[in-house]
Amino acid sequence: MIRNSILILLIAGMAWILFQEFSAYHGADKLNSISEYYAKNAPTETGAANLVTAIVVTYRGFDTLGEVTILFLTAAIIGFMISTGKKTDRKPEQSNSELLETASNVLLPILILVGVYIFINGHLTPGGGFLGGAVLASAIILWLMSATGPKISHALLEVTEAFSGFGFVILGVLGIVLAGGFLDNKILHLGTFGTLLSAGAIPVIYSLIGLKVGAELSKIIIVLNQTQGEEK
Amino acid sequence: MVNPVYIIAVLLSVSFLLGLFRKPGSDFARLAALITLAFPAIVSVSWLLQFLGEPTSPFIIYTAGSVPPFSINLKMGIEEAFLTSAVNILGFFGFLYLYRTFKESGVSAVVLFLVLVMGLNVVIMTRDIFNLFVFLEITSIALIGLIFLKKDINAVSAGFKYLIAVSVISTILLLGIGFIYYFAGTLNIDDFVSKNSGAVKGMSTAVFLVIIAVLLELKPFPANGWGLDVYQSAHPGISAMISAGMATASLFVLYKILPFGAVYWMQIIAAVGVITFVGSNMLGIAQKNANRLLGYSSIGQIGLMVGIIGFSPMLGKHLWMVFFGLFISHFLAKAGLFWLSGMIGKENIKSWSVLRKQPLLLIAFGVFAFALIGFPPFPSFFGKWQLVMDLAAHGQFGWIVAILLGSMLEGVYLFRWLGYAIKLDVEADQKLDLGIEKLIPVGVFALMLFGASHFAIENVPGGLTLNLIPVYFILLLFVLDFLPAKIKNSIAILGMAYYAWLLYPSLQDDTLRLVFAGIFLVGGVLTLFAGYSVKGKRAGFYPFAIMMYAGLIGLVEAKNLLQFFFAWELMTLGSYVLIIRGKKSLVHAYNYMLFSLGGAYLIFLGMALSVAGQHGLSLSLLNTTHFPGWAYTLLAIGFLTKTAALGLHIWLPGAHAEAESDVSPMVSGILLKGGAFGLIVLFLAMGAEKAGGHPLLYALGWLGAITAVGGNLMAVFQEDAKRLLAYSSVGNLGYILFAFAFMTNVGWLTGLTYSINHFLFKTLLFLAIGGVVMRVKTHNMYEMGGLIKRMPWSFIAVLIGIITLAGIPPLSGYAGKWLFYNAVITKGWYFQGAMVFFSGTIAFLYCFKLIYSIFLGQEKDKFRKVKEVPVWYILPQFILIIGIMVFSARPDLVLKPIGALLSQAGYFPTDPLTWENVTASTNLGYWSGYKIMLVIGVMFVTLLTWLLVMSRKAQKVKQFNIVYSGERPFTPETTHFSHNMFAPYYKALGFLTIPVVTSFWEGVNSTAHAFADSFRKIYSGNGQTYIAHILAYIIIVYLIIF
Amino acid sequence: MKYFNIEYISMATGLFLFLVGLWGIISQKNIIKIIISFSVLDTSIHLILVSIGYIRNKTAPIIDGVVSKTDAATKIVDPLPQALVLTAIVIGVGVTALMLTYALRMYSENKTLEINKYKSLKW
Repeated sequence: MIRNSILILLIAGMAWILFQEFSAYHGADKLNSISEYYAKNAPTETGAANLVTAIVVTYRGFDTLGEVTILFLTAAIIGFMISTGKKTDRKPEQSNSELLETASNVLLPILILVGVYIFINGHLTPGGGFLGGAVLASAIILWLMSATGPKISHALLEVTEAFSGFGFVILGVLGIVLAGGFLDNKILHLGTFGTLLSAGAIPVIYSLIGLKVGAELSKIIIVLNQTQGEEK
Repeated sequence: MVNPVYIIAVLLSVSFLLGLFRKPGSDFARLAALITLAFPAIVSVSWLLQFLGEPTSPFIIYTAGSVPPFSINLKMGIEEAFLTSAVNILGFFGFLYLYRTFKESGVSAVVLFLVLVMGLNVVIMTRDIFNLFVFLEITSIALIGLIFLKKDINAVSAGFKYLIAVSVISTILLLGIGFIYYFAGTLNIDDFVSKNSGAVKGMSTAVFLVIIAVLLELKPFPANGWGLDVYQSAHPGISAMISAGMATASLFVLYKILPFGAVYWMQIIAAVGVITFVGSNMLGIAQKNANRLLGYSSIGQIGLMVGIIGFSPMLGKHLWMVFFGLFISHFLAKAGLFWLSGMIGKENIKSWSVLRKQPLLLIAFGVFAFALIGFPPFPSFFGKWQLVMDLAAHGQFGWIVAILLGSMLEGVYLFRWLGYAIKLDVEADQKLDLGIEKLIPVGVFALMLFGASHFAIENVPGGLTLNLIPVYFILLLFVLDFLPAKIKNSIAILGMAYYAWLLYPSLQDDTLRLVFAGIFLVGGVLTLFAGYSVKGKRAGFYPFAIMMYAGLIGLVEAKNLLQFFFAWELMTLGSYVLIIRGKKSLVHAYNYMLFSLGGAYLIFLGMALSVAGQHGLSLSLLNTTHFPGWAYTLLAIGFLTKTAALGLHIWLPGAHAEAESDVSPMVSGILLKGGAFGLIVLFLAMGAEKAGGHPLLYALGWLGAITAVGGNLMAVFQEDAKRLLAYSSVGNLGYILFAFAFMTNVGWLTGLTYSINHFLFKTLLFLAIGGVVMRVKTHNMYEMGGLIKRMPWSFIAVLIGIITLAGIPPLSGYAGKWLFYNAVITKGWYFQGAMVFFSGTIAFLYCFKLIYSIFLGQEKDKFRKVKEVPVWYILPQFILIIGIMVFSARPDLVLKPIGALLSQAGYFPTDPLTWENVTASTNLGYWSGYKIMLVIGVMFVTLLTWLLVMSRKAQKVKQFNIVYSGERPFTPETTHFSHNMFAPYYKALGFLTIPVVTSFWEGVNSTAHAFADSFRKIYSGNGQTYIAHILAYIIIVYLIIF
Repeated sequence: MKYFNIEYISMATGLFLFLVGLWGIISQKNIIKIIISFSVLDTSIHLILVSIGYIRNKTAPIIDGVVSKTDAATKIVDPLPQALVLTAIVIGVGVTALMLTYALRMYSENKTLEINKYKSLKW
């Protein structure tokens, strides 16, 4: 009883603080100065049609680098923590339904294609590297669950992850050497606005991010999968 | 200069690539990581050197080919260069320390470590708050992964609690950042400050959320249970990274976002910091687990630094110096202590005695502990000094008291721990991991502390006035510690003698200081002579003995408050180590240190009150304090802890009695005079004669009288020879205090005569008795007896000693008594004077007991064959005897010049002692030491010759040839009247010796521990509760502000 | 009533969900439920951030048929908070995965998922 009332008090206190913010909030009618700058200049400076992509990959590319690192860390930690168990692949406890097998045979290539499409076109349409990578990862999970086709090579995922991350950093450093600063996308030609091969290095970076995210999320799922069936 | 962004690029690319090396070649991965970690350190340090060399403007690192606020930027200024250097050097050595651990854990852990260092660099350098959020997440997650290096369930659950706590905090931070963006329209720190949009409603709440999240990261008290569990359960190498590395970055984040907040935030931050410092240290005193204790200490110290950030308006341009002093001490010492903990491997603080297997490590422990507490020469001493002085200048005495209280609590647990390490027995199965990869970081960090000390001394106001020659001499002795004792002894003696010769010209005119300098230096040389009798190396003795003397002489030389306090602390440090060397001295040295620390802080507070914003630091500021009552009382009590006035005396008997044979004369005869000198400085500052009727002096007079009676009375009932002498010192110092409190010319002459006498006879007695105890191997007087036959020289020495002590003519004690009569009658303090006379009579009792029980009476079987004490003990004793004789016969040699000084205008011009050749007179009578000596000397020689002649015809009888009441004794014990000799007196007056004071202090001690013990139960272990603590903290602070 | 506009509703929902998430964290005993509460908390933050970026009557910040390069500044919502949310989502995913792994390890050692059974380290 006492415990619950204290908890209620705590939530009430936080609610009071949050209410202050709510009462001060009144939406907005126009962009602030920074966003206005982005709206006016980002398409010409970066060559990207999707302004969010321009911000994520170029203007605030450093944050994206951090974000990618976090995913990398998470995958590493999970691998670190789970690796103390046995590395057995899960044996399917029951044979998979034919429905799943057939459906996955059809869906798998489509999913992979969709994922790749999303991250390649990140500078033109909504989505980008993270979304594409997540779709790729779901393709791999489907592959895993249906147990069709060749086993997923752990080494391939590791190599993809390592080189795409490394590539991202190298592109950033190239930005210093060849263009205006770290992670400047003008190291590649800006091309014609609105086409696939435009926006300088943005598609390349987003592709690398897509691959990296896909590899990492898959790796996490695979590692967690290997713990299933461990009886202790 | 290398663009700092390459630090990030290199660390990240190596981390990503190392993912390829998971299975094979883990050795290659580790080596590559180590080499990679050298790169950031080199880059940061090169930037730091550049900034220190010439004033350069900070380097801004732009990204994305664009400018802030549209893109993210980093900055490398002097602060960033310093902090990243610290973090990167820690990263390099931290990795080296964990080298073997990483072998077992695999490449993932190595990668986590690299990313951690990278994250810390960005957190320090970034100028964008969302970027800050992302990289704070990175460092937290990397740390959480590294916690798993130790795979036990404790580590895992601690990691989980840390994870959920940090997640809640970072969510609050993100919420705040979002709303700041809404109201201010920017995410860049510099842009925000220039837009100055603080007036918008709702903005203050958003800023509140951000600042409180940053504060919570720093683990404020009491919302920090989640942090403590991690400190306890993680691998110590990782705890070092958290305590030193993460704290560095988080503190700088707080400093960076300070401009976001309105002015009232300064007070809040200061309060959060100081409350954390006091609270965390308070709970630490009940802690027995080494790593958890280090956790409490870390949180406390970081709290102090948060407080310093909050005090920045008051510190002004001293902010960086103060912060540097305390920060670098915490940074280097905490990392070192955690590293040592990893080498020891056991959890209990008592296991640290295993460090004695590698004495260099024990010294490292001492260095780290003293650096944390704030002893000189370490930077924390200067940081605290300047902090207190600046706070005093703004009248913030409440904060000063809190800070000193927190420091005192820190001392309580650190010195207990250090004592355990130095004195406790080592269990047989305890191992010490002495891998070279672990020794190097510890050693490097300990040495860096000294480098940092040098830097701090150069930068603190007044620091350049410090006389560092003695400090260098001490360091020399450290380096030469491998030499045999006799060589070091000679070096020490020669060094002190040379210093005395150097010092003499400057002190010639100030006879007061000359007397004390003589006591300290000449006494030092004499007591060091006894050291020649020790065989072997006597490791760790000489640096600290010289340290004590350096402190003492520093007191005499001091012309400003900083020099004085520096010397005071140096003296305390040296004497503590000397005292703890005694076999049974663990508890006594600890008590000594606690009282000394408390006294030192009272002195510090008194000095702060005196300066209180006035310009400069000269000693004369004590004359012009705004708060005379408080300042003088605090200073007086502080000095009295060193002279062991009644109420503050309980440490003395144990410390002096249990110390080694040649240390007891040093501490009893010489060290106590340090406190007496402090009192002299204080009384002169109070105005000398003009302060005559001050109530404080009246109270001190009473205290002196009571101490004299109490000390002497307790000495009477002692069976332990050295304890008897120790209590006698308590009493003697009571006389001295009483005499100085008179504030008259003759009164001060009395005090000075007593001081010189006490030095002469106490040193003599302790040397003699110390030598006897060394031979006989027991302290108990009733076990000794009849030793006059075996130790005739010691007998003569003790005889002279007690004659001087008791004040019997012709020796100089009588001079003191004569002056005393005059002083009391002229001053009019009759009742107190009577008490002091009474105590003098009591002194006869124990003097007699001393010489009778040991030298006269019956020889015991055990000691029929003992040898005389070593010649190296006898030599200084006889030099002292010669000194006594000279002083007794020609007191005018010393007293005339002192009298002349004291009669000057600033001192005590009224009623001086007048001299006619060798005869002194006041308006009450006259006295000539020379004539008395002559008369009594002739009488003595005559009687002695007659006795010697007569005794030729005496018949020698065997020892047991005594029969009374028809009984013939067989054993000496039954005929030696010594044990409980003064039983009737005990029945009469024993009630005065009930250990009331001891019970009082024990009560204080147990209350503090009980409080700490019960209060720390708020850390219930339940992670959810800790989150509730966090929320409660947020709400309470919010309500306080708004 | 202006409060029925989308931005107020979403902001209010976001703040409300924040409180729900917090409530779950401090009151639920099962570790998995605590982790789910964290998910709710994260989602609420994303919602709040997006609401902060909303500009009334404007559309997505992509240059295509509807929005041209020249008048972009008058037709789009604020792209910056959307970028922040992208980052925050990924961070949230990582942290959730980490928490689940920790829960897994704790369960395999102690066979319980009650948070208050993990009190081995205290005071």
